[in-house]
Amino acid sequence: MHPLLSDFRRLLWHITVWLVVGLFTAKILALTNFSHFSYACFFAVPVSLFFGFLTSSAYYVCASFRIQKYTFFIIKLVFIASSLISAILALCVAHGWNLFLSNVTDTASPINITPQLDFALFASCLVLYLLALLTYDVVIAFEDMQAAEKREANARLLARDAELQVLRSQIDPHFLFNSLNSISALTAIDANAAREMTIALADFFRKTLTLSEQEKITLDQELCLCDDFLAVEKIRFGKKLHSKVEVDEPTKSASIPPMILQPLLENAIKHGIRTIRQGGCITIKIVRNGDWLHIRVTNPVNTDTPPVPGSGLGLQNLRARFQALYSDQARVEWRCTEQEFVVELTLPWESNTP
Amino acid sequence: MTQPISVVIADDEELARRLITEYLRPYQDIDIIAECETGTEAMDAIIQRCPDLIFLDIQMPEMTGLEVLEMTGRHNGVIFTTAYDQFAMKAFDLHAIDYLLKPFSQQRFDEALNKARKLLQQSGASSEAAIKQLLAENTEKNQHLMIRDRHQVHVVPIATIDYIKAEDDYILIHAAGKSWMKTQSLTDVEAQLNPAQFVRIHRSYLMPLHALKAIERLSKDSIVALLNNGEKLPVSRSGYERLKEHLH
Repeated sequence: MHPLLSDFRRLLWHITVWLVVGLFTAKILALTNFSHFSYACFFAVPVSLFFGFLTSSAYYVCASFRIQKYTFFIIKLVFIASSLISAILALCVAHGWNLFLSNVTDTASPINITPQLDFALFASCLVLYLLALLTYDVVIAFEDMQAAEKREANARLLARDAELQVLRSQIDPHFLFNSLNSISALTAIDANAAREMTIALADFFRKTLTLSEQEKITLDQELCLCDDFLAVEKIRFGKKLHSKVEVDEPTKSASIPPMILQPLLENAIKHGIRTIRQGGCITIKIVRNGDWLHIRVTNPVNTDTPPVPGSGLGLQNLRARFQALYSDQARVEWRCTEQEFVVELTLPWESNTP
Repeated sequence: MTQPISVVIADDEELARRLITEYLRPYQDIDIIAECETGTEAMDAIIQRCPDLIFLDIQMPEMTGLEVLEMTGRHNGVIFTTAYDQFAMKAFDLHAIDYLLKPFSQQRFDEALNKARKLLQQSGASSEAAIKQLLAENTEKNQHLMIRDRHQVHVVPIATIDYIKAEDDYILIHAAGKSWMKTQSLTDVEAQLNPAQFVRIHRSYLMPLHALKAIERLSKDSIVALLNNGEKLPVSRSGYERLKEHLH
């Protein structure tokens, strides 16, 4: 929006300045014996106000011809041309207004616009319009700077949230304490299974610690982490939990942000498998489609129980994290049908190995 | 020989149930009558078999442990188990209710069991008041009541309740044009709801302030409350006094 229209006080200042310019011009005209001061005021003030509004159009010229988009030569050309046009326009209005005033007021002494006066008016209008162009350029640059600062602050905030989210998913207290409880139960029933579960749990936590520090990891690394996670959960939930992983071998070299798949599995168990008496199967399907990597996690849901309020927060966080990392280049989508819940991630294909 | 203590174990993880079974093995006088995987199963077991003691996990599918208690009206003979639930843990500590934090040792388990056993023997001293208080807090946090209708569980948001009426041995909850039956006394449900929000306007009527439109005096001794949905409820003299306190 135009900076003058968005702020009433600025508009008032603008009008005041151009009123003063008009009075000043009238005084000069009176001093140089072109006219009486009173007639000169009638002549100069409206013309000055008109020109004042004309200069505000300079904002749009500046806004559409940004230094980032066009060469300096074109901008110079546009600036000079627009200044010329507005100066000519101002001159025409001045002549017209003078003619109109002399007819209406029937005054004996209209201003005799000599070529010298013409030139002086033309030159000052030209310079003033150029000045306006430069001023608006500065204003726009300033606005850009403020917007950039705000964006940067937002991005930083999101990055910190994402970090917290990663930290939180590292240590889900339920997962940890329930797993330890299962191990405690297993020690008397099946000592070997207890040992296996301890190792899987340790592997999972060790991998989370090392991987979540990195900016990008390979899909293979994330899948290994998920294997450990599922190994632990399968001991906890026994026959209730099954999983099916369909991954094209070449996609395993894809480079992705850490801990994007594991939280999805955690959700699938917490809100899906766990709520169904007979359990179910989580399906993970990962394919590459040209420049895109698609990840889809599907899990059955219990149709009898209403969805737990507050679920979906993790997905919202993931969406925000993708927004911070990829801006509009990545998508997180989910839908819940009668029997199943589906999450789909789409992100740009990146890989360190050719 | 005294009668054995009947026990129900409710936890959705098989290993967690087996651990409790194992910890109970040394006790000859304990009889495990049911193991439940979900909140609904636990609810059915409590209603049908009236166990002396319940090991109740807070985090269960279909219904949480606290909701199971709300639905069954069971207020004593419960040992809570939880892996991690900040809200429940804080509430337990506040009301001095014993609970087991997973994973727990045999020693800690024995302590909890002995404490519960003592409470069972002294019929007077029970955890009833504390658990009622805990359920009231849970209702305040969730802002809904749970109602069982045959095999379905309905959630009635508190904001939609018009009034609650006492019948013979059950209550009728009128909410959003429907009425729900629940086996509970009006006094019990009153204790469960926020007293700043609900007023006992009559021996048989509990009304939330948000449903009240106006109070009409029909004659010297007859006052009625006009609700937003157009219905009129009788207001007793003491009910009118309580209502006045809330409105001033």
